Amino acid sequence: MQVAPTPDNEADRLAALHALLILDTPPEQRFDKIARFAASEFDVPVVLITLVDAERQWFKASVGVEICETGRDVSLCSHAILHDDIMVVPDARLDPRFADNPLVTGDLGIRFYAGAPLSMACGVRLGTLCLIDRQPRTLDALELGILGTLRDLVVMELKGQAAGNGDA
Amino acid sequence: MPETMHILLVEPETLLRRTVSMTARSLGMSQVHEAASTDVALRMARQRTFHGAVIAVECVGSGAGRRYDLGLIDELRAAESETGRPMPIAILADQATPTLLAELRERRISRVILKPFRAKVLLETIAGFGGQKGARNEP
Repeated sequence: MQVAPTPDNEADRLAALHALLILDTPPEQRFDKIARFAASEFDVPVVLITLVDAERQWFKASVGVEICETGRDVSLCSHAILHDDIMVVPDARLDPRFADNPLVTGDLGIRFYAGAPLSMACGVRLGTLCLIDRQPRTLDALELGILGTLRDLVVMELKGQAAGNGDA
Repeated sequence: MPETMHILLVEPETLLRRTVSMTARSLGMSQVHEAASTDVALRMARQRTFHGAVIAVECVGSGAGRRYDLGLIDELRAAESETGRPMPIAILADQATPTLLAELRERRISRVILKPFRAKVLLETIAGFGGQKGARNEP
């Protein structure tokens, strides 16, 4: 298993994340409805809105899982936040970065993963809107566009949160 | 430069409507004009012409008088008769009853989309409007 490298702007990224005052807050309809919409739209069993903290990834919204966080070392989203583009893993068991990851080999049984990074205006990527399936699959161009739009809607909500906190 | 397709989308569910319009714009497919209700759509239709429309139709009335409200479609078709440019219209409906299908055939509806409504299906429908529009413009 490959642990994702730390982004170059990690200090700024964590500062922006913590300034949102959103970690460990209760579920909110505005994020939940986007996650539910994505699960229905893409017909996937698991959708997460993740925020990658210093040592963990925490789920602001989730469909299909009971847990609210995992360690950052096993997080696929920690890889996704390294780039602006959506990261698609058609079959994690065939990907040397993830084949022996416990999220892949364990109960969650991730095979397919698509993570759209939540990029803020200041250039940091706080987490992802990600789709997870327990069977291999891919996304076509139209589906990537839809996932990108849903990600943009999550980012708008986060920016609204930042504005409400006086960080706009 | 190809002409930008202007599409009218009438759908009460904000997230579906917004996802379709934003994705269509980001992919350079068309300019989707959003209306949350028939009343809003009627006002928009009176202000500009569209190359196509995707319209969620809702039941009105009760009991034996319960029927789908197709007034917006009638108004759009009436406006077409003035311009002489028929436009493709797709319908979103809970179910396709024989009565509804007959009424839609009379109104030259090109597609009926049944629940669950997915953004991808709506976007594919809108993309198909481009083909219909191009076909009509060919001599």
